[in-house]
Amino acid sequence: MKWLGLVRANLGRNALRTALTGAAITLAVALVCMLLTMPEGLNSLLDNLTNNTRISVHNKAGVVYAMPYAFTRKVRQVDGVAAAAAMTWFGGAYEEAGRVTFPNFAVEADQVGAVYPDYGIRPEQLADFQRYRDGAIVGRQTMRKYNWKIGDRVTLRSTVWPVTLDLRIVGEVPNERAPMLWLNREYLDQALKAQGRPGLGIAGVIWVRAESPERVNAIMRTVDELSRNSEAETASETEKSFFANFFGSLQGFVTIVLIVTGLVALCIVFIAANTASMAVRERAGELAVMKAIGFTRGIIFGTLLAEAVVLSTVAGLLGVALTMGLTGLLRAFAGWNETLGPLGSFIVTGPVIVQGVFLSLFVGMLSGVVPSWGAARKPVVQTLHEVF
Amino acid sequence: MSLPPSYAIRNVTARPARSLMTAGVIALVVVACTLFLGLISSLRRTLVSSGEPLNLVVMRKGSDNDGSSQLTLEAYQAIKYLDGIARDADDQPLVSPELVVQPFFRTRDGGRENVLVRGVEPVALQVHREVRIAEGRMFNPSSAEAVVGRGVMGRYEGAALGDELQFGRGRWKVVGVLDSGGSSFESEVWVDVRELANDAKRPFPYSGIRLTAASPDAMAALERRIDDDPRYAIEAQSETAYYAKQAESANALYVLVVGIAVLAGIGAGFGAANTMYAAVQARTAEIGTLRALGFSRGAILWSFQLEAVALAVLGFLLGAAVAVLLTKAIAALVGGVAFGARTFTTNVVTLAVAPGDLAAALVLSLLIGLAGGLGPAWRAARLRPIEALRKA
Repeated sequence: MKWLGLVRANLGRNALRTALTGAAITLAVALVCMLLTMPEGLNSLLDNLTNNTRISVHNKAGVVYAMPYAFTRKVRQVDGVAAAAAMTWFGGAYEEAGRVTFPNFAVEADQVGAVYPDYGIRPEQLADFQRYRDGAIVGRQTMRKYNWKIGDRVTLRSTVWPVTLDLRIVGEVPNERAPMLWLNREYLDQALKAQGRPGLGIAGVIWVRAESPERVNAIMRTVDELSRNSEAETASETEKSFFANFFGSLQGFVTIVLIVTGLVALCIVFIAANTASMAVRERAGELAVMKAIGFTRGIIFGTLLAEAVVLSTVAGLLGVALTMGLTGLLRAFAGWNETLGPLGSFIVTGPVIVQGVFLSLFVGMLSGVVPSWGAARKPVVQTLHEVF
Repeated sequence: MSLPPSYAIRNVTARPARSLMTAGVIALVVVACTLFLGLISSLRRTLVSSGEPLNLVVMRKGSDNDGSSQLTLEAYQAIKYLDGIARDADDQPLVSPELVVQPFFRTRDGGRENVLVRGVEPVALQVHREVRIAEGRMFNPSSAEAVVGRGVMGRYEGAALGDELQFGRGRWKVVGVLDSGGSSFESEVWVDVRELANDAKRPFPYSGIRLTAASPDAMAALERRIDDDPRYAIEAQSETAYYAKQAESANALYVLVVGIAVLAGIGAGFGAANTMYAAVQARTAEIGTLRALGFSRGAILWSFQLEAVALAVLGFLLGAAVAVLLTKAIAALVGGVAFGARTFTTNVVTLAVAPGDLAAALVLSLLIGLAGGLGPAWRAARLRPIEALRKA
């Protein structure tokens, strides 16, 4: 520890260089952390919003192929099913943008509460959702994005059904990462019938909650067996697998992001190594003198290495702080972006911070070792010759 | 009096290790940015098709893409014989009724993705002039045959020429491969429109209609005529406008990537500045000598700046070469990168670097060079000759 003074003095002797290197590492660590939050955000979304007792039942051919609504009742009677709710994509566009900016579904108002007890929707809000035909329940993320409050009225124009519905927000899903809006399927059904069309006789996905995680597999088998050889054969899967598949199309993008992240990390190693080797080269004479007056190799190597490690760690910590600031800004600014899907909701999770700090430590080690080792091993006489 | 450019260039080659280090840092940034920009430009190319200037897309009012639109047979029959539609050699109007569904396809690695299947009639190839059959042949109507886009081929189980593809409720024999010069049609599968309607059990036979107008004036008239028809609640828009809207989905990504490029660029700029500062320090005596010989401050500033830019260009060349090779390697290894757009369908993006991406990377590396070189060059020019010479 008594050498810390030496390390500090050495870092301070060329303040400009130290600052430049530090800034380069800070930015690079911030970048790597930002990029890492994408796949990390995907995972935490899956962990955060999915539940190991929930099952998705949908048509085997695809989510856009519907099932007869009557099948929901059959599913509800299966042994081990605690609750089941039919959900149909409404595809409502809010405001004049004419684009779907958050996912919205027509759901069975009297069932969703029992299927999603983990969402923590207040019971009185669920009761209102059942009582008011035009009621809607909205995820907190979307509430924030548009500054909606309970009691506000919103109008959604469907891009799928030939209807526009006026809704009243009666409840919210208190989860920062919940973007969805639920409306009453009966409301949509009646709106369709009012136009002289057949009503909403279909269900897009039937969400099922099992009484316990052990029952999940048996339920999935039974449900798929029930629909065998019918108009709409189903494929059941756990909620997590459903969403993982749903976001699976983003995996390729995430792969590219990770490759780029690796490159950026390599960049930092380069910059830091460059600086460390410059510092050593400049001080060759001085190091030789130090060795000549009795400093051991170990101390010389240690102090040089410590210099690199201290610099990159401090810079790395700053980088992590910068990431937090930036992602906070992005979140406040962008909210849930439908094109990026879950990648748009940047969340800095613990693991990412740890990775960022470790990355900078690692950079310091890696960039410091080679030049310091070389400097410590050089014979004194040779160095003194070169210098004087 | 100014210094010859060769002086600056020779300074780059005089310390190969240090120069390569700096150029290497810039090169890495160039690689990262080029990869990202390449991804975006490939995305934009794949998510959209430029559209034919004389083509109209007809959909249900309020739909934002043909995946969520529905049309009746009556609407199609009413539109088919409107005035102002171009005709083919047999005097048949160029009107392509289409049905779009997005069933699951199994990927080769066991996942599943929604792929856009377009039910069409043979006339579709005349309406979508950019699409051609590159291998095999067009499907025969009502014989459970399919033609697959280039991006789809090989990505999914059974999606190769001569194979049997399974989606929806049926099985389809792959008889041809579609090519559309890289646009979105290459992520689609085309089958007979009636067979698809049967398979999907859709209440409405069509999602939308594409038609080719005879002239720009006829196109505007058709658009008005279709929009104003009170019977069917449908609307028409030009294919160009339709695809421009679809392309918006890549905009957010674009902003994100530009932000990342700028951050990486600033970091690299710091790294480059570092090296240049060190170069100035090491050459204090040399600068003093030059000043004593009568070279002006401006000349020294200019020479150092040139040196930094030369390094940046070197870095760009290195980085661009690596990036192009890397994208080729990724394209060969991964095949296409799947990207789920808003519309529930998977677009298969083949990664490629466009000239524009390289130009953007070049601008970025020049900026890094200029910004990173400015401080050190300024310092070099401001050195007092007397003090500089004393160090010699």
